[in-house]
Amino acid sequence: MKYKGSLLLTFCCLIILLQSCFTDKNMNVDVNNAHKKNIAFISKTNYGYHWATVKQGANVAAREFNVDIDFMAPDVEEDADEQINLVNNAIDNKDKVVDAIVLAASDYNKLVGVIEKAYQRNIPVIIIDSQVNTNKISSNIITDNFEAGKSMGNVLLDICGKTANIVIMSFVKGSINAKQREEGLNSVILKYPGIKIVSKEYCYSDTNLAYNIIKNILLKNNNIDAVIALNDIASEGVALAIDELNLEGKVKVIAFGSTTQELNYLEKSVINAIVIENPFSIGYLGVKFAVDAIENKKIPNKYLIETKVIDKNNMYLPENQRMLFPFVW
Amino acid sequence: MKDKIVEKIAKSIEIFVNSIKLKSIQFIISFSFILITILAMLFVGIAIYNKVSILSEQNAIINTRQIIDQVNTNLDYYMRSMIEISDYLDNIIYYDNDIQNDKLREQMNVIVSSRKDIVTLAIFSDNGDLILSVPSNKIKSSANIKQQDWFTTPLREMGNLYFSSPHVQNIFEGQHKWVVSLSRKVIINRNGKRIPGVLLVDMNFSVIDQICTKVAFGKKGYIYIIDSKGNIVYHPQLPLINVGLKRENIKEVQEHVFGKFFDKVNGERRLITIETVNFCRWRIVGIAYMDEISTIKKDMSLYILWVLLIGILFFISISAFISAKISRPIKQLEKSMMLVEKGQFDVNIDVKGEAEVAQLSRTFNIMVSRIKQLMNQIVEEQESKRISELNALQAQINPHFLYNTLDSVVWMAENGKSDDVISMVTALARLFRISISKGKNIISVSEEIEHARNYLVIQSIRYRNKFEYEFDVQEEALKYKTLKLVLQPIIENAIYHGIEYMVDKGKIKISVSVTNGKLLFEVRDNGVGIEEEVLNNLLSYESSKKKGSGVGVKNVHERIRLYFGKEYGLKIESELDVGTNVQIWLPLIEEEKLEAKQNEIQR
Repeated sequence: MKYKGSLLLTFCCLIILLQSCFTDKNMNVDVNNAHKKNIAFISKTNYGYHWATVKQGANVAAREFNVDIDFMAPDVEEDADEQINLVNNAIDNKDKVVDAIVLAASDYNKLVGVIEKAYQRNIPVIIIDSQVNTNKISSNIITDNFEAGKSMGNVLLDICGKTANIVIMSFVKGSINAKQREEGLNSVILKYPGIKIVSKEYCYSDTNLAYNIIKNILLKNNNIDAVIALNDIASEGVALAIDELNLEGKVKVIAFGSTTQELNYLEKSVINAIVIENPFSIGYLGVKFAVDAIENKKIPNKYLIETKVIDKNNMYLPENQRMLFPFVW
Repeated sequence: MKDKIVEKIAKSIEIFVNSIKLKSIQFIISFSFILITILAMLFVGIAIYNKVSILSEQNAIINTRQIIDQVNTNLDYYMRSMIEISDYLDNIIYYDNDIQNDKLREQMNVIVSSRKDIVTLAIFSDNGDLILSVPSNKIKSSANIKQQDWFTTPLREMGNLYFSSPHVQNIFEGQHKWVVSLSRKVIINRNGKRIPGVLLVDMNFSVIDQICTKVAFGKKGYIYIIDSKGNIVYHPQLPLINVGLKRENIKEVQEHVFGKFFDKVNGERRLITIETVNFCRWRIVGIAYMDEISTIKKDMSLYILWVLLIGILFFISISAFISAKISRPIKQLEKSMMLVEKGQFDVNIDVKGEAEVAQLSRTFNIMVSRIKQLMNQIVEEQESKRISELNALQAQINPHFLYNTLDSVVWMAENGKSDDVISMVTALARLFRISISKGKNIISVSEEIEHARNYLVIQSIRYRNKFEYEFDVQEEALKYKTLKLVLQPIIENAIYHGIEYMVDKGKIKISVSVTNGKLLFEVRDNGVGIEEEVLNNLLSYESSKKKGSGVGVKNVHERIRLYFGKEYGLKIESELDVGTNVQIWLPLIEEEKLEAKQNEIQR
């Protein structure tokens, strides 16, 4: 009996040996058919150079890590309710399972509910470009807004010295990004009593509004030394106003962002310096971290992306022109 | 609880270890077999793996090199075509009488519109004025042409073509295009004067991209191009490089003009192949992940591992099978030998195994049968020796009996009891005659009775009035034969040990009958009886060693059993102070059978 047993075993071994020659091909087929990960990418809005670049970064990452991305955004920036809907739809979509969500939250508080809902469903949420009032997220990738504000303050000191009358053009009241940039700016200029804030305005991300506000202020006051614009839309409006009033050089402009318009104004010296973000990195890292979270790799809780100050003299340095001009071939 | 579990585990391990008999043939064969095969397989596997991996690596390196060469050829071709365009324009410019003519502009227009990769063609005078550009662009007021590399370098170095690093062309209004600039010094006829100028050809990356994009080494491998200063010209992930999310080890690449080296990034071995493009001194750098391009290495290792694993399993079972096949007959042999050791010689091993083992078992069989034969011989010899000893013993006459009898005869003669003397001597004479009976062992029952009677006559005279005796003989019994001298020792025993110490008169009754198909002599006395302890040992082997009582009785018993087998012999019943009854069982022997028996014993 014993020998029959061992004979049987031998026979089995032979079969396995033969089979092993064919298994490799089967395995490859399995890999190809594997579920391609799906990431919902919800931004604040569909428009503007900033978000286009964020998307570009996300797309590069999607290609690199072989994932699908669904881009979604409310039509109006800062429309938190619409964003809540979009997140809910993504979570509840039964036709297309969402493996992770990359979200640029429009509001610090309003989106907490849906984010925590996703967290409970074990869907990783990566918050980009902004912050939210919960720690139940996988990671938070933001521009270092406080540092950006500080840089603007330092540039102001370099250009205007320690006495100046300034106007601050912010974008949305209550926006956490705007608040942090202001705080950074204040942390520098409040040290110098010579610097006076003549006015602080909000343009609600509307170029025309910014243009009109600044035009009015400048027409009324002729002692304004500098205008500080806290985002790209505000910057364009401010620059347009200064250009139209032919005040370039007299009223210094410190802008934020790197749209083509702004760069043209920078070359024309309407804008004296810009602080640029790195929206490409935000998009790229958002998707990269989402993929890492799906694969249970360790990712940082908070990732700060640095800003950079550009002026007319250094804008064509090789390292800077790469950041400023989108590489299109 | 824990201790118990630990104890149990320890016990089971011990049992397991004990179950592997380290010195058993099966274990040694299997173990060495497996060890040798595993070692051999490992050796071959590793050797093959090494060779294959070296070959596949070399192959991968050659492949990578070929692909890079191809890219280089293509880029070279492209650059050459650009240079040819600039040569062509240079010629036209040189032989033109005046730079401001429509023919040149037309030619330039044709070139720009027919080639999508040429962004701008422009001619500048040596002081930086734009003379002609297609498409016609306005120069930015802020543009500082005299500080641009592409402008200064060809003017400084005569006859040289200059390929710039990729840069944003920022001299034209409203344009920020990424270009590579090819510039050369030209001689312009302007207003009748020949002045030096610069021809600028701005090209975009579409063709370079086309050439490089499709090149891939495995899934992750790629190529990139750097210029002589180390700036990246082309990279599939240029946006990532631009924002600093990805870095290339450009320093090490710059040390090589041509060749290859390996490095390790995130634990992955990469092959970096470098080649330099002729005209622009760009370097094509190919990054290939060794894991990917020499996939055969991984496949091979997996395959070898599988084969090794299955092979080992296979050989374990085969060796178990073979070792079992070899050791089975040996084990069988061992079992049979154990039986022989225990004393069973009827073993006949029929082992069908290997030639050696079969031979061994055959020899063993012969040996066992020989032992058996020898033992039987010894038993027979011993038996016949005993018989002859006993025969000698039965022939002996107790000398005391003779002295006493003769003393009695003398005593009776002195007292003038001549009748008694006569009857005693007569009885003695008959006694001896029957005792000897011509050396025969078997005599007739009547002769045996006669012998006993004569003995009792003598003894009853000697022990006057001490006992009386009677015979009760069945007629039928008389026609049979019996072993001689079986009654006398029993009677002697009855007198000496039963009756002699009695106060009252003793009584001995001797009866002869055929009972249950056997011949039965019975000697019954009413003497003191035999103690149970003595009785139990009377007929066993040990008692014969003790001198004294019962030697004769035992001799009778053994003699009968030696002659006729174990179902015959003596049976003694005794009760203290009541008496003893000795039964002597013998087979019914007739004349003819006697002959046969006699012959057998003699043989």
